[in-house]
Amino acid sequence: MDTLRLDLSVPLRAFSLDLTLEAGAGTLALAGPSGAGKTTLLRALAGLVRPARGRIAVGEDVWFDAARGIDLPPERRSVGFVFQDYALFPHLTVEENVAYAARAGAAALLERFGIADLARARPGELSGGERQRVALARALAREPRLLLLDEPMAALDAHTRAHVRGELRALLRDLGLPTLLVTHDFEDAAALAPRVAVLVRGRLVQEGRPEELVAAPADAFVAALTGGNLVPGVACPSAGGLTEVTLESGSGVYSTDAGTGRVGVAIACWDVTVAREAPPDSALNHLRAPIASLAPLGNRVRVRVGPLTAEVTAASAERLALTEGESVVASFKATATRLVPLS
Amino acid sequence: MPSRAFGIALWIALASAVLFLTLPVLALFLRVPPDELVAQLASERAREAIRVSLTTSLVAHALILGFGTPAAYLLATKRFRGRAFVVSLLELPLVLPPAVAGIGLLAAFGRSGLLGEELGALGLSIPFTQLAVVLAVCFVASPFYVRAAIAAFEAIDPRLLDASRTLGADRGRTFRRVALPLAAGGLGAGSTLAFARGLGEFGATIMFAGSLPGRTQTAPLAIYDSLDQDFDVALALGALFVVFSILILLAAKLIPLWTRSASISPFPFARSRST
Amino acid sequence: MIRACAIAVVVAAAVLIAGCGDSDDGPLEVFAASSLRDVAPKVDRAPRYTFAGSDELAAQIRDGAPADVFLSASGTPVQELRAAGLVEAPFVFASNRLVVVVPAANPAGLNAFAELARPGLKLVLGGEGVPIGDYAREALAAAGLEAALENVVSLEQDVKGVLGKVALGEADAGIVYATDVRAAADDVRELAIPDEVQPDVRYYAAVVSAGDVERAAEFVRRLAREEGAGALRAAAFLPVPNRAE
Repeated sequence: MDTLRLDLSVPLRAFSLDLTLEAGAGTLALAGPSGAGKTTLLRALAGLVRPARGRIAVGEDVWFDAARGIDLPPERRSVGFVFQDYALFPHLTVEENVAYAARAGAAALLERFGIADLARARPGELSGGERQRVALARALAREPRLLLLDEPMAALDAHTRAHVRGELRALLRDLGLPTLLVTHDFEDAAALAPRVAVLVRGRLVQEGRPEELVAAPADAFVAALTGGNLVPGVACPSAGGLTEVTLESGSGVYSTDAGTGRVGVAIACWDVTVAREAPPDSALNHLRAPIASLAPLGNRVRVRVGPLTAEVTAASAERLALTEGESVVASFKATATRLVPLS
Repeated sequence: MPSRAFGIALWIALASAVLFLTLPVLALFLRVPPDELVAQLASERAREAIRVSLTTSLVAHALILGFGTPAAYLLATKRFRGRAFVVSLLELPLVLPPAVAGIGLLAAFGRSGLLGEELGALGLSIPFTQLAVVLAVCFVASPFYVRAAIAAFEAIDPRLLDASRTLGADRGRTFRRVALPLAAGGLGAGSTLAFARGLGEFGATIMFAGSLPGRTQTAPLAIYDSLDQDFDVALALGALFVVFSILILLAAKLIPLWTRSASISPFPFARSRST
Repeated sequence: MIRACAIAVVVAAAVLIAGCGDSDDGPLEVFAASSLRDVAPKVDRAPRYTFAGSDELAAQIRDGAPADVFLSASGTPVQELRAAGLVEAPFVFASNRLVVVVPAANPAGLNAFAELARPGLKLVLGGEGVPIGDYAREALAAAGLEAALENVVSLEQDVKGVLGKVALGEADAGIVYATDVRAAADDVRELAIPDEVQPDVRYYAAVVSAGDVERAAEFVRRLAREEGAGALRAAAFLPVPNRAE
């Protein structure tokens, strides 16, 4: 499989999209707030937008090279693009849509995606999930060397989304193509791809496994995106090589990370435990506060205790009979924290 | 109650308007018995006029579609500097009085016009020919089509065109397989209106092409000419125009409906299945 | 709201009433042949003139147009109206000569009336029923130049249309009244048409029966008197030919 190598700069309205990236076989999710330039990046890769500067190559083929004046039009790039609303041709049937790029493999693709019985239907008659499958089949009919997905879940309702996530992840993995998907929803990114990169205001801020991004966000932006805990405070070195961070509430927490001045303490939700009393264990940090809210999430519950959000199993929440307003202790280890500098 | 009186006043206004607009049309048909109308249409004058009108209008229309469609596509899909200005230029004939258009055409293509010498060198003399009629019709009717075509192409979701390109279709194929079919309704409606306008053209034609029965005398010119001499021929041609105009109006209304439903289901006017 | 509607209706009605019916206090409505466009106001500046081809004006009068006086460039339109009882007895008040006009640059290099039959020429005449057109065809026939009719590229609705096409340089030649040449003196040159083939041009004046007969009659009398005749002469119109009628 080919490796995608890109290095480009595209001026946008308020800032410039500037990044360098390498992606081999497998899915890379690009997460970031709206307007960060994610869609522009995909369009630039597809040849729909011309970067001001840079180079795009897939394997040995150079698709764009500003310095050498190379700019292949989209039809000459071996790219498969799944648009945000799927952009299915309304005047063609499902079959004709899929066969648009290549008549030969259409039937097989319809089978593979389980939409063979919809062959004669028009896009207007399909459900969201069905349309996504048609869009994927259509893009793959071209046997592209690079697959691009723009907010693949955005056009689906919450119920379908949960259902489709697993399928899509498996499909992308089986395809094994270099795949770039963009989304503003970190959960989707984490569910669909083994690696996630965060794009903020046109810059790549952090790249890694989803858990890494949650547990050790590089900055406040990433922390905000991943939805992990980021508690602000003032840090100064303490005994035993630890750093003590004084929170706004006055409490102090310890971290094995180094830091000074204004910092945010990042802790993954699943690293925070909840109990009635501070448990006699190795965890250094205990914060007593009333439960501000309880949010069930399938088989888990998100418990907001003071400035922290903890994630416990629904079973545990029931066992402890947690109720709102109740005073509890949130505990976490110093080793589970990361310190993120705040300006 | 004032509200009630207002309602009545609205209905009176509508009735007056409908009467006023339909009476002349009705009167046309009532003045001469239908068999007499048909007989007049068979007269040489009428037949010649209809022939000239149809020939020149069809040729002009082919030119309008042939040049206007790609031009409209470019204007609809590409943003370039001065685009708004170009669009305004193309709409200019809409606001120009037809006689002025005729003089303009003479000033450009006449013997002593801007291109007069060059055309003469090529052996082309345009005024007083059917080509002049074609050009006059093109000039006054094309804005109707181009405006509608631009709107029809602009209404297409640009992502559909992008999708086509990412699926390996170049710009030409994208135009043929995606843009044209999706714009067909608007193009059809604009086309019928432009055709009707061209068929009824008078002022520019009489200025640029003159009026000679059998060669440049189109139906509107023939109507005007026969008003004093052969009123019945004028009536017959007028009635024919009315029938034709009604057909044009119907076509302009029905074509967009038909093509829109065709994009949802293969059968026109069929309901679309919902999930 | 009702009041506004009522007022609107009353105003509309008033305008309509004022529009139709005899306008005793309005200006005289004179329908005149196009060739009289420049001279008519010199005879009498007061009336409101409408100029067009005589046949077209006759048709409008037949359809009830509010004319008081009809000045026609030939007998036929007037006779038809007379036969229909729409005008009083007409009388001839002037005559005219026909001339050939060519553009100032004379692109076809024409020098004589007889050359109008030269093949390939672009000739413009008045249409059928338009006096200048009928007169021109009479003159061509009298001169044995029927072949010239093959050269006709356009039949105009009035003499101004003929003159216009020649003045613009698009036609090679046209046949108009001698009096019209003055108006376009800079743009055209004239070629004489021999006396032997000149048609009997007669301008008729008629009072429209349904109009303001008294004032119309007075206008028509002024045409015949010295002031009217003088203005016509000054504009190169010819006096009434000494023949019956």
